[in-house]
Amino acid sequence: MESKVKEQQSIPTSKVQRAAKFISTGAKVGGNYVKHYAKKVVNPSMTKEELHNNNANDIYNSLSELKGSALKVAQMMSMDKNILPRAYQDKFTMAQYSAPPLSYPLVVKTFQKYFGKTPESIFDTFTKSAVNAASIGQVHQATQNGKKLAVKIQYPGVADSVSSDLKLVRPFALRLLNMNEKELDHYMEEVEEKLLEETDYTLEVKRSKEISKACSHIKDLNFPDYYEEFSAERVITMDWIDGKHIKEWLETNPSQEDKNRIGQALWDFYHHQVHNLMQVHADPHPGNFIIQNDGKLGIIDFGCVKVIPEDFYKGYFSLIKRELLINEDELNEIFYGLEFISDKDTPEEKIYFKGVFKEMISLLGKPFHVETFDFANNEYFEQIFKLGDRISNDKMFRKSRQARGSRHGLYINRTYFGVYNLLNQLEANIVTTKPEWLE
Amino acid sequence: MEKTTAKKTTKIDIKGKIVSGYVNHVLEHGYEPVSVFKFAKDLKMKEEDFYNYFTSFDSIKTAVWSQLFEATVESIESQEVYREYSAREKLLSFLFTWIEELKKNRSYLLSLYGSKKDIKSLLPTEVKIFKSKFKDFANEIILEGKETEEIASRPILSDRYDDALWFQVWFVFQFWLNDTSPAFEKTDAAIEKSVNLAFDLMGKSALDTFIDFAKFMYQNK
Repeated sequence: MESKVKEQQSIPTSKVQRAAKFISTGAKVGGNYVKHYAKKVVNPSMTKEELHNNNANDIYNSLSELKGSALKVAQMMSMDKNILPRAYQDKFTMAQYSAPPLSYPLVVKTFQKYFGKTPESIFDTFTKSAVNAASIGQVHQATQNGKKLAVKIQYPGVADSVSSDLKLVRPFALRLLNMNEKELDHYMEEVEEKLLEETDYTLEVKRSKEISKACSHIKDLNFPDYYEEFSAERVITMDWIDGKHIKEWLETNPSQEDKNRIGQALWDFYHHQVHNLMQVHADPHPGNFIIQNDGKLGIIDFGCVKVIPEDFYKGYFSLIKRELLINEDELNEIFYGLEFISDKDTPEEKIYFKGVFKEMISLLGKPFHVETFDFANNEYFEQIFKLGDRISNDKMFRKSRQARGSRHGLYINRTYFGVYNLLNQLEANIVTTKPEWLE
Repeated sequence: MEKTTAKKTTKIDIKGKIVSGYVNHVLEHGYEPVSVFKFAKDLKMKEEDFYNYFTSFDSIKTAVWSQLFEATVESIESQEVYREYSAREKLLSFLFTWIEELKKNRSYLLSLYGSKKDIKSLLPTEVKIFKSKFKDFANEIILEGKETEEIASRPILSDRYDDALWFQVWFVFQFWLNDTSPAFEKTDAAIEKSVNLAFDLMGKSALDTFIDFAKFMYQNK
């Protein structure tokens, strides 16, 4: 748990400075391309991979200095592994663990503002420096009556800077994600809304309590208790979850049985949320899951919750049925409903996109087509990456002037990719349950 | 300056009454009283008695500033954790607390200083005592910082560090006056960032090493 992050010496302050930071990165990325092609003249065997590596380094370095929502976007991009080239992924995954902490006097001030007391007078002990960084805040450890608590404190001014940060990230996202502008705006709107929600800690406590209560019956799961009396707009106090992150846990060589058990708990958790609660913990990044010493899976951070609209749900999951069972008319209707195709498309485009989406869906739905699915199967993930690469480089996609896919799909896709990835890391064999209407 | 401090210890009550009377007047009318005569009359005291305590309205304003400073120092020193702070954290703590004290008097400060374009040219006389008190406080922090090597000693330059910190206090004050964010969150961020910058500049940096190296090369040419 103890991750010592170097206290950042300076944080770029104003929008101008932030912009300057991004511009210098832009220049560097441009430079990398020049270098790449120059080297390629001399050495034709040089790969794109190397270029991506250089770019990822520069972009990551500047993003990590910005923290707040820019960091959040870096995280998001690292989640969507299917879209990003491999080199970017590795770098961005680092962003999930390190952000520079803020000073203790400001922590004291925040406490005095919301509770009228210093942290020391509320808790028996309170760590002076942050033990962990969350993307828009930092976590301190406290104890009270012998109980270990985690206290999450938000950086001041994050909510205000969400919109301007996203505008700054835009040109990079365009470049990295190979999207056209329309598509990106479509994407950014949803992201902005979710990020703003994430800055509302009162809402987070409410949702955390709701969802953890609704999921309390699921086997092998554990949720922390939340303490409303020590939580406010910018502060959340909850139980400290002791244990190991998935990566660390795997290093202890757990048995296949244990891996399956943890994986199954994760699957059941998402199954219950998506199909019964219709709202879902949409941030399945490895930092939010902790395997406790008693073998239970602890789940934290309900900052990002996606509520699934009814009609979107129906359309999206009907596609999971084996494609053979769906007839052409039904499929067309669903594709229109999910905004994959529209009347603005030429007949040629319609046929092309329908084909692509069918392929994508049947691939992503694969785990649902069988009783049990072995997520350790790297070949399956290889297929997903390949398809993602192929699509993002396809001319038809890049030419297309309109956004594809309902905006609700963004977070649902992200959630499923995230869960699949975690299960792949766990090498778990899962009983892939489906709701009755899909059986 | 000595005069006011001497008086303060003896006749604190009437002094306090005059100060709060003055602050109230500014709060209710939005400007200072038209004359000492009128002001003294409102307080039911003779004009000549007023001069026993203050020589002008300016000296009252001076007293308000130093009261704000005293209250701030008292409040931070009452926090146990303050003694464990590093120099950087001490300055941060001072500014955060100071802003809280200012907040209690925001209307008063806004009606006196809010509309003025350039505060710097106006203030010297009114904040003289506050300034000297703050500099004493800042020098203590700087000295401590030098001992712990948070702050680098540089010839000539390091004697001016207290001025730099004083300038920072003004920066924060002006920023706060114009801040419209809820709960003055932006001021918090401004404090955090500007203090970090100040301490990074005062701390040992690559430049020091570079100068040292350049000197060495020059001497051995």
